[in-house]
Amino acid sequence: MSRLHAEALSLAYTGQLVVDNLSVEIPEGKITALVGANGSGKSTILKALARVLKPQGGAAYLDGKAIHREPTKAIAQQIAILPQNPEAPDGLTVKELVSYGRFPYQKGFGTLSIDDKKIIYWALDVTGMVELAGRPVGELSGGQRQRAWIAMALAQGTSRLLLDEPTTFLDMAYQMEVLQLLERLNREEGRTIVMVVHDLNHAARYAQHIIAILDGTVAAAGPPHEVITHDMLRHVFAIKADIIPDPSCGVPLCIPFASVR
Amino acid sequence: MLDQMRMSNALTLSQPIRVMLLLGALIVGASVLSLNIGFIQLAPFDVLKTVLGQGSERQELILFQFRLPRIVLAILIGMGLAASGAILQGVSRNGLADPGLLGINAGAGLGVITLILFYPAAQASVPFLLPLAALGGAALVIYTLAYKHGEVTPSRLLLVGIAVGFGIGAVTLVFSLRMDPNVYRFAVVWLAGTNSATTWSYVLALLPWTTVLVPLTIYKAKMLNVLNLGDQVAVGLGASVEWQRRLLILIAVALAGSSVAVGGGIAFIGLVCPHLARRLVGPAHQVMLPVTLLLGALLLVVADTLARNLLAPVEIPAGIVVAVIGAPYFLYLLARTS
Repeated sequence: MSRLHAEALSLAYTGQLVVDNLSVEIPEGKITALVGANGSGKSTILKALARVLKPQGGAAYLDGKAIHREPTKAIAQQIAILPQNPEAPDGLTVKELVSYGRFPYQKGFGTLSIDDKKIIYWALDVTGMVELAGRPVGELSGGQRQRAWIAMALAQGTSRLLLDEPTTFLDMAYQMEVLQLLERLNREEGRTIVMVVHDLNHAARYAQHIIAILDGTVAAAGPPHEVITHDMLRHVFAIKADIIPDPSCGVPLCIPFASVR
Repeated sequence: MLDQMRMSNALTLSQPIRVMLLLGALIVGASVLSLNIGFIQLAPFDVLKTVLGQGSERQELILFQFRLPRIVLAILIGMGLAASGAILQGVSRNGLADPGLLGINAGAGLGVITLILFYPAAQASVPFLLPLAALGGAALVIYTLAYKHGEVTPSRLLLVGIAVGFGIGAVTLVFSLRMDPNVYRFAVVWLAGTNSATTWSYVLALLPWTTVLVPLTIYKAKMLNVLNLGDQVAVGLGASVEWQRRLLILIAVALAGSSVAVGGGIAFIGLVCPHLARRLVGPAHQVMLPVTLLLGALLLVVADTLARNLLAPVEIPAGIVVAVIGAPYFLYLLARTS
């Protein structure tokens, strides 16, 4: 049993059930990609795994405890989540934003401790944002902005990082920048990373574990070469595709050529 | 590199402190000026003499019983309204939020007018009763109407607040028309926002609210920072978003309600001051809030001094002076956001 998992999870938006009785496990120390068509419920599931969305039934568990019933600051010290397209207030600098990541460790009037500052600096450094620390977040390029937000999530000092479509709306170079950063965080620091990604080939290349979601249920889960099959593509994404080994690293690469809708 | 960062940390800190010191000095300057000028001029030297206990009885009366309480009250009210606006803008993530625009002032006004209508004697015993009446009215507005599915959503808060504010204004008008002329005069002048009848008892009525709520607001600075990042990020960072938002709105309502109760319906301070503060020191609340408070105090001391002197011996309600400054600023903001 993994440390982060969900059991019999039911999730709804304004009364509309999106996910019903879902159980899913997040492997420790790996990059997990949640994939699926639009409206499949993948983002919804990610939110529930970070207690941003309260379940109608069932629960997401961390070390055997239902996370939405635990003290929220204690969870924030173990799970960080970055939602899709977060917005920083006008004029907020990168440094300030990243310092907000220390919120779960701070009390009322207290200021940042030396340890806080060290972690903030580390987060800026590992994301390559030190040079830009004094700049307002709103003035950064898309990729820089996303890195600033990831730095904030890293400053939370959690061993688990959940990201909702971290590469959407980014130019390709920036997409690679973000994905490579996540890969490095996983490889060098052993962080568990869960991300919702749109591009199946990104998932195959950067994740060791893929969970394919169809209508709020797990259609397939496992390493890329087990999950990315013709059957799964037809079933989950309603496409026909060629699957060839990626010339540079051997993971399955899928090239869609027809819709089967 | 770490040293470099410490250095830049130190640099960002000095800027807000300079701003705060400057504003503090301006408030002292404006207050001294306000003590000097008026229908009866007191020379700076006479003011100093009187403060040191060497003035004539008449000078003492003017200074300590008329002018000083007004200045102190203007400082307290200015801080209260500015803090209220800062909180509301923070939790609604909308720079146009203001206790006046959200209908909180109107609610407080209705509370007070209702009290005066049914219990005219309250005018005299006012100061201590008014804040409670105001608070009741103001809280009623926000909570009953912005509350849905157990959540207080930011956009709903603003829309509902504006609509309800107008409705309440109408009810208040109907109520005040049923008053007898004397009470009506008091009500109209009070609704426009004036400190003209100020005595120390008003200051004493407001002081406990200010001493509790203002530090509490600053205590909540980090929470406001986090709420400013949006609900999902805030939850992820470990904020109990719904509960904290309700608590903060309650604090904002109490700040605005108590201020309106003793100062009348002064709008725009809660809108303008947080904006200026953000431009001066950025949006991080631990520095932005103190600057907002100082700006609120300064703006109202200046406005009240102008109100007292522009058409002397006739007094303009301070609320109108503030509106003359604030309304164009509001339009400017509106034009810039859309």
